[in-house]
Amino acid sequence: MAADTNKFVIPIGPQHPALKEPANFEFWVDGEIVTGASVRLGYVHRGIEKGAEARTWTQNLYLMERICGICSHVHATAYTLGVEKLAGVKVPQRANAIRQLMAELERIHSHMLWLGVAAHEGGFDTLFMYSWRDRETVMDLLEKISGNKVHYSANLLGGVKFDITSELAAEIHKGLDFLEERNHFYMKVVTTDETFIGRTQDIGTMTTEKAEFLGAIGPTARASGVARDIRVDAPYLIYDQFPVKVMTHTSGDLHGRFIVRINETFESIRIIREILDHMPQGELTTRVPRRIPAGEVVSRVEAPRGELLYFIASNGSEKPERVKVRTPSLCNWSTVLSLAIGLKLADMPMLLSGIDPCFSCNDRSISLKRGQQGPQVWSWEKLRQYGIEYYR
Amino acid sequence: MASTIGSLGAAEAVLKPFAKAINRPQPERLEVSIHPDDLLAAVRALVDESWGYLSAIVGLDRPGQPVTQGESQAEGAIDVLYLFCSGAAVVTLRITLPYSQAAIPTISGITPTAMLYEWELREMLGVEVIGLRVTGHLILADDWPVGVYPLRKSFTGFNQPVAGAEGA
Repeated sequence: MAADTNKFVIPIGPQHPALKEPANFEFWVDGEIVTGASVRLGYVHRGIEKGAEARTWTQNLYLMERICGICSHVHATAYTLGVEKLAGVKVPQRANAIRQLMAELERIHSHMLWLGVAAHEGGFDTLFMYSWRDRETVMDLLEKISGNKVHYSANLLGGVKFDITSELAAEIHKGLDFLEERNHFYMKVVTTDETFIGRTQDIGTMTTEKAEFLGAIGPTARASGVARDIRVDAPYLIYDQFPVKVMTHTSGDLHGRFIVRINETFESIRIIREILDHMPQGELTTRVPRRIPAGEVVSRVEAPRGELLYFIASNGSEKPERVKVRTPSLCNWSTVLSLAIGLKLADMPMLLSGIDPCFSCNDRSISLKRGQQGPQVWSWEKLRQYGIEYYR
Repeated sequence: MASTIGSLGAAEAVLKPFAKAINRPQPERLEVSIHPDDLLAAVRALVDESWGYLSAIVGLDRPGQPVTQGESQAEGAIDVLYLFCSGAAVVTLRITLPYSQAAIPTISGITPTAMLYEWELREMLGVEVIGLRVTGHLILADDWPVGVYPLRKSFTGFNQPVAGAEGA
């Protein structure tokens, strides 16, 4: 990432029209062609890993869920799976099935959100509005199950909070039918629209070898032919009973990333239908001790953006010794910085959005509330009381 | 599971020459403690065998025990864990660095994905990564005080807004 000071540098961000989340990029250009790139993250770093050390195992479940507003469930799932492994607790199969169902609904909403963002960056705002309108269907389903559209909070340490009734199952089936039909339409647009293909084909191409060398993961890697998916490689929940097919593409370009994510949406729809039709019977929760036995554990899940890894260390107390979160977005940055070179500056927004970056993922408070009276530092208790009063 | 066991066995054979201790904390995990001087060779051996990929670098602060009367306080240490994954198998290279020698060589020359993780390790835990060719901050604010590492256990927050910080 060394800067060549003789080149013309275009700084983008941290506040800029191309992305709605803060990051600073510097592109060195020769005319229209990018010759170098660097990234500066951390604008929304909230100190969550540090915060976790001061909270109980249960409080942390809610904290981890707030790392990301898009894939909140998968963060909570990775955390609970790790804590349950440390505690030696076996969760009822019905709870695992509901966790998996929620995770795949979340993947659909995340991929459709990405489809809209990526289309918008390329100037295809009609596709953006269509996909976000249709995404409301899966958001509504998540709300019907949990009462929330974003932080569904389905997980508990030892199980789940919500059951899937036969009425809910019927509604989910109906919603999936609609989403499947719409995604067929998106696939048609993506693969036949001449201008869309012109903006995506052979742009940001990454070979299989390069994807592996740069450490790409998730759909970004799979679009370059890297058949790596934690749901298949190291099945968790009940992915061994309801396995998914790994969706790959060989083109390695932006176009391939669209095709892989839409195909993954179809696969999520298929797996949710299977779970609904063969939902295991049984309890929703089991008991987890308040103090977790000392030890260290690695918990890996496949988030919508790729492998999400939690390293959790317990000292045997009510609070964790360390929670380390390695999110998928962090892995894919190096691919962007490498692929940018040689492309036109105008391709940068789509290239950036092509990896489906999530800044909440990267930047995990030290917050200063600004007001008329100048800066104030609020204690956790004061913030909590403020929240209670605000929503009273 | 058979392939996971085979995969861990292959990694163990590769890493045995560098191992100070080997254990299996979970069926799918192999943990190998190594000396900091052997880090590059051990990582090189895994990469040359095409064994998996670097998935994360974790830093763990382990402060010295509190002073008891008549005894001097033990020096604290940082454990640096390099997590390599292949399928379901996870191999951890564990290095323990006393506070006074909290420095390791960069492995980004062997596996470039390490660069961001090493940068984070340096910034958040104060482990010097020798040969890491980046300067400045990755995550923390530009005006974050020098020598304050937020993921060290000794850091418990600022009682007062930092002088000169934005908004102060």
